[in-house]
Amino acid sequence: MEQKAPSEVTQLLQGWRDGDSRALDALLPLVYKELHRLAHFQLRRERPDHTLQSAALVHEAYLRLVGISTPQWESRTHFFAIAAQLMRQILVDYARRHRAAKRGASVCKVSLQDVLVARQTDVDVIALDDALQALAKIDARQSRVVELRFFAGLSLDEISEALEIGPATVQRDWTAARAWLYRELARI
Amino acid sequence: MKTQRWERTKEILEQALRLPPDERQAYLDAACGPDGELRSEVESLIASHEAAGSQFLAATAPEVLELTFPISSPQSRLNQVIGHYRLVEEIGRGGMGQVWLAEQTAPVRRQVALKLIRAGMFDDEMLKRFQLERQSLAIMDHPAIAKVFDAGATPDGQPYFVMEYVPGVPITDYCDQKRLKIGDRLELFIKVCEAVQHAHQKAIIHRDLKPANILVQEVDGKPVPRIIDFGLAKATSPQIAGESLYTHLGSFVGTPGYMSPEQCDQTALDVDTRSDVYSLGVVLYVLLTGCLPFQAKLGKEQPLDEMLRRVREEDPPRPSTKVSTDHETSSATAEARGTEPKQLVSLLRGDLDWLTMKALEKDRSRRYGTASELAADIARHLNHEPVGARPASVSYRLAKYMRRHRVGVAVAAGLVFLLAGFAVMQAVQLRRITRERDRADRIAEFMTGIFKVSDPSERVGSTVSAREVLDKAAKDIDTGLAKDPELQARMMHVMGRAYMNLGLYPRAQSLFERGIQLGSSAVGQTNRETLSTRQDLGWILFQQGHLAEAESSQRSLLEVQRRALGPDDVDTLGTIGNLATTLAERGNLAEAEKLDREVLEKQKRILGPEAFYTLATMDNLAIILAEQGRLTEAEKLEQETLEIQFRVFGLENLGTINSMINLADFERDLGRDEDAKKLFRQALDVEGRLLGPDQTETAETRYDLACILARDGQTDEALSLLRQAIDHGLPPRIDLNIEKESYFHSLHENPRFTALVAYAKERAAGQKAN
Repeated sequence: MEQKAPSEVTQLLQGWRDGDSRALDALLPLVYKELHRLAHFQLRRERPDHTLQSAALVHEAYLRLVGISTPQWESRTHFFAIAAQLMRQILVDYARRHRAAKRGASVCKVSLQDVLVARQTDVDVIALDDALQALAKIDARQSRVVELRFFAGLSLDEISEALEIGPATVQRDWTAARAWLYRELARI
Repeated sequence: MKTQRWERTKEILEQALRLPPDERQAYLDAACGPDGELRSEVESLIASHEAAGSQFLAATAPEVLELTFPISSPQSRLNQVIGHYRLVEEIGRGGMGQVWLAEQTAPVRRQVALKLIRAGMFDDEMLKRFQLERQSLAIMDHPAIAKVFDAGATPDGQPYFVMEYVPGVPITDYCDQKRLKIGDRLELFIKVCEAVQHAHQKAIIHRDLKPANILVQEVDGKPVPRIIDFGLAKATSPQIAGESLYTHLGSFVGTPGYMSPEQCDQTALDVDTRSDVYSLGVVLYVLLTGCLPFQAKLGKEQPLDEMLRRVREEDPPRPSTKVSTDHETSSATAEARGTEPKQLVSLLRGDLDWLTMKALEKDRSRRYGTASELAADIARHLNHEPVGARPASVSYRLAKYMRRHRVGVAVAAGLVFLLAGFAVMQAVQLRRITRERDRADRIAEFMTGIFKVSDPSERVGSTVSAREVLDKAAKDIDTGLAKDPELQARMMHVMGRAYMNLGLYPRAQSLFERGIQLGSSAVGQTNRETLSTRQDLGWILFQQGHLAEAESSQRSLLEVQRRALGPDDVDTLGTIGNLATTLAERGNLAEAEKLDREVLEKQKRILGPEAFYTLATMDNLAIILAEQGRLTEAEKLEQETLEIQFRVFGLENLGTINSMINLADFERDLGRDEDAKKLFRQALDVEGRLLGPDQTETAETRYDLACILARDGQTDEALSLLRQAIDHGLPPRIDLNIEKESYFHSLHENPRFTALVAYAKERAAGQKAN
């Protein structure tokens, strides 16, 4: 796939620093994608061929969203912990900003079929983020599994590898977390 | 500690969910013990697990956000240039992404549709797959299929496809807007089937056929369908989940409602052209009824899991039923089809119901094999030709019938296969000889004729009517095969047997007699076929109680068979066995026993000790023993027979039932009435299911049970069973003898019994007169 010209990313980062909200809109998906790409390179134990640019991007995002400079990755698990957390931040932030923007906006006409497809994706990302924080207090590992699954989009097998725990444990955590979170969200 | 407790909760939850719901309580009792808090927590989690279904959190956050707040807003794309294309107007949006009307600038200037696939995580792989796929897409060349020109990725990495721009309306909308009548809708739909067939011939499956992908344009005032997105579903769905429409993250890509049961099944990996046939069936259903086969009630939500489950497991209502039961919408539906609700229902009932349901079969091997077969049946319907008038369709309907009545129809099914098989064999053999071509054609014509049964609308959907097929054939046999007496004779025999199997003896007899007459002059008196017809005639005479006639017929036949076929020939043995039975019925028990022992010994040797005919002879011999008062010998032989029957053929088998009834007789005569009643009742139950209530055999079993009940003083039940037997198929020879039946002696003062005797005689006389 065609790589974005570095100058364009730099421009967007510049715009974002200057408070241009549209620049952030454009950046968030890019940062997310880069993180995802990095995650997959990590899993495949390969070196990304565009480390520099990714690093710059992620570094900037991290600084801006989490407020500290990117830490040195201590291990693969550490990397995944940090990356997934960041991806979660990005997505929740994105959801927050758009939820505000969407009010009053015209809704696209969708057919019955599209509605049916959409219904199962009808999850309030922000509410889920809150519920996940509550879950983390009971079981931190379990909340990381959900983070990697839902926010970072890894498969259960990939999670098992990323967290260096057995696949059966991941499956058990995931099943229980789904039930727990569903109950939590239904209460709201 | 709280964490440990939670770990335990997770373990119990996981174990419980692995168990079937009805075993969970017991498991929880054991796992949680007296800890009520733990147990209610697990139970609460099980409940939310069930409520969450498979789709909760199946999509990842980016996927959710992409759908709810598209990352690339339409405004930002307007006038954007992607490759050679400038985006002009957003013309569609859905789960897959957005569709733009775009202007191509080079190498040619034209309008195209550009489909931006929503940003996902596997864009690279998707493009690679698409590059492979587009080579096969390029070989499709059909006016009703929109071409795919190009594929690529935007500078920010979003994949896109470029296709022919079709300024059309979804087929269902078009038909409703124009108020097209059913016939016009069908003609348009046939064109769609033809296009799909073209793609299938190039080994390309659409996988997402639905009205939104079947657009209609008017060309010179005539509607022309164009199918878009051919092959895109494959290119854009991740390979990891095979061909299924679930992505490997478990999220769902596809259009529920139009997807085939195999596509709705997460575990089924292969999807073939018949999956498109199913989707075409759904489109047809919507064109006819205005509703999806599994549409939720208006205003009611239908969870995705539930919808998929229904597609996999439930049979949808027939189109005519759908319209006739949906009162709220039926008048609008009818109006859009230029008709009234009642007329619409009668238009749909019959062929259209049937062919739509065939396209929607759950088991794809029972669907139309190809789109063009579906189109062909619709064309036949439009031409007022019988739909699916081929033997395959008849056997299909038989199959449906058989599912309800299991073995009973084996007889009727046997008949159709017998007829069809006979005809095909003949035709194949005759085809080899050029001068016999005419004859082969005559058979073909005759066969085709008899399967065109009466009014198609009455035929479809009703229970099978093997009888109907048969009556039609019997009627046509004189005219249809007049030029060919040998063939005519054979067909008469085949059909006579079919009537015999159905218990319709007089019809069978007259066909046998005519068959023998024709056969004797056409192929000779010693021809095996002629002899075999004579054997059946003898048997049918016996069955009707014409014992003297039966005996002389069988004796003279036996003489010819011994000479022509040999003394150990299976057919010769069959006639000896039949003669023994006739003799026994006439009271000549000693000769009967001698003949049956001779036959049994040869059959065991030639056919084997568990063969059908061997077992039949054992049954007969046991009866003959019993009739000589050697009940213990009879009981022993019959128990042996029943044991083999049951082991080899199972309970639901007429041979097994026969042995059971014989044994019941012996038990009764040995004074073990309760054993006898039990056996009779069981036999009656199976017969009722296998044969139906109107069969001679069932009636005779009722009669037998009535006898023993009368002897034991259970008068009411005895009389009511007797009445049922007389009303439902008791043969005249028994009707006429009820009064003399010793079991009923105790009833002779009973006025109800006297009335029944009179009634039975009257009925028997009436039957003889017929």
